[in-house]
Amino acid sequence: METTCAPKESYQRFHVLHRLLHIIIIFNFTLLAVTGFLLHFSPFGWARFLVSVMGGVGAAGWLHRCSALFLYLGIIIHLSWLFYYKLVLKKNLSGPDSVLPGKKDAKDLYQNLRYMFNRGTPPLFDRFSYLQKVDYWAVMLGMQSMGITGLLMCFPEFFTRFVPGHFINIATHFHFHEALLAVMYIGLVHMADTHLVPDIFPMEKTIFTGKIDQDRFMEDHPEEWKRQQMVKE
Amino acid sequence: MHTGTIKPNNTFKTELIFVLLAIGCFLLILGLFSNAQANPTASSPLSTWFVDMKQYSSAAHGSLKCEECHGPMNGNGIGKMAPKASLHPNPEADGFLKTQTKRTFDYQSCKKCHGTAHERFKKGEHAKAAAKEKTDGQPSKTGFAPTCGDCHSAHYAKSHQTREMIGKEMTRTCGSCHPDQKASFLANYHGKAGVNLGYDKAAFCTDCHGAHTTISLKDKDVVLATCKRCHPNATPEFANIIIHDSTKNIALKTDAKKAGLKWVYWLGSLSLFFVAAVLVFFYTHTGLLMLRKLHEKLRRHK
Repeated sequence: METTCAPKESYQRFHVLHRLLHIIIIFNFTLLAVTGFLLHFSPFGWARFLVSVMGGVGAAGWLHRCSALFLYLGIIIHLSWLFYYKLVLKKNLSGPDSVLPGKKDAKDLYQNLRYMFNRGTPPLFDRFSYLQKVDYWAVMLGMQSMGITGLLMCFPEFFTRFVPGHFINIATHFHFHEALLAVMYIGLVHMADTHLVPDIFPMEKTIFTGKIDQDRFMEDHPEEWKRQQMVKE
Repeated sequence: MHTGTIKPNNTFKTELIFVLLAIGCFLLILGLFSNAQANPTASSPLSTWFVDMKQYSSAAHGSLKCEECHGPMNGNGIGKMAPKASLHPNPEADGFLKTQTKRTFDYQSCKKCHGTAHERFKKGEHAKAAAKEKTDGQPSKTGFAPTCGDCHSAHYAKSHQTREMIGKEMTRTCGSCHPDQKASFLANYHGKAGVNLGYDKAAFCTDCHGAHTTISLKDKDVVLATCKRCHPNATPEFANIIIHDSTKNIALKTDAKKAGLKWVYWLGSLSLFFVAAVLVFFYTHTGLLMLRKLHEKLRRHK
């Protein structure tokens, strides 16, 4: 850890809106996970204790539904920003800066797998690495499936007018499995890949401050760095 | 976009992570210890030949005199209230105090005070099972057809219980003969919220099946009427939601639920497999990548 005290060049990586949305997601995701898993782990004493601290099953249920609402509100804000970006700012949603999966991601994955076994150099990522894209789409698609199955379970009287009764049971299983996936993915893969990387440990602060150091920029997103330098010249 | 300069920040305490981890571990251990509290206390013991008077006098029937149920034990078999039950067992006989009280006691005397319950019981599934047991000469797969004493402890059942306490007690009582149904109920929202977390608005066994009729809810209209007691806006399809969501005892279910359960089982397994596959891939990916990066870092600092 031989860091010099000389100030480093830093660049803006995340817009304030996205930093805010990320905080909204962290807060509501945690609340949802806690209140949801308390129901699943209800045979255990600590679950019962925590539920009573929250004010009983009814209160925990409302907390779960409210945080779901706020989390989905975040998704809606993000979607409206995408429309604004495309229609008002007239910018391109595809291209190298995009989170849309492309051929480069498959190549990067292959190259990274080779790198893991010391068969080559690490891939040169653009603005978003394929892992970051997976993070994005895990939330984006996961929230849709959690939203739909959650609504099915929240208003079974209404939805059974249109769908067979056992769909509610299927929704219950999907909701739990997806929750398991989300928590175990975010808790280990997302956390490890952002914070536990030896050069970054103990904490990656870019998503909160919006700023990225020049050396991290050059190392983690070399393709984007190269494109920016070309624009400057 | 260039935003100027920031100073490197080395003040973040790595120790904090370990403190947080330690707190997490502590909470986990605390949770494991508190498990014992979650397990409901043992149910009140069923009545036998011997009576614990201390428990009896504090129980629901504590104010009753023995004769009120057992008749005057004058030994000649001419009791006034329940002639059959009034005969005191012969102390010289072989089976003295060895016969099962629950199978030999004549529960007709309960009818005197609990007329409605008795009428319902006579119409119910357990009474039908008892009749079948008599013609077949042997108990069904579930066990002896229960009469009053198999579920209720005449000597020790407590009164003034909360809805939650009664719910827990009945889950244990019904579950002792119907363990699969108990397990699937406890896996359902009603069971988790009601029995495990003490939500008194959740439905317990008898709220759907009836306390004394104990019907198995196969008739469409009856099921819908049952759901509507708590879910007034329930539709006919709402009644096809499978509460006992388990492939055990599938033969007992209605055709609509049998068909639905197949889908629930396959899609549920498929989604669990998908989750496992995704997690295995990404855990391996992350693990290997971390090892490689750590290796590179250590090599650089040699």
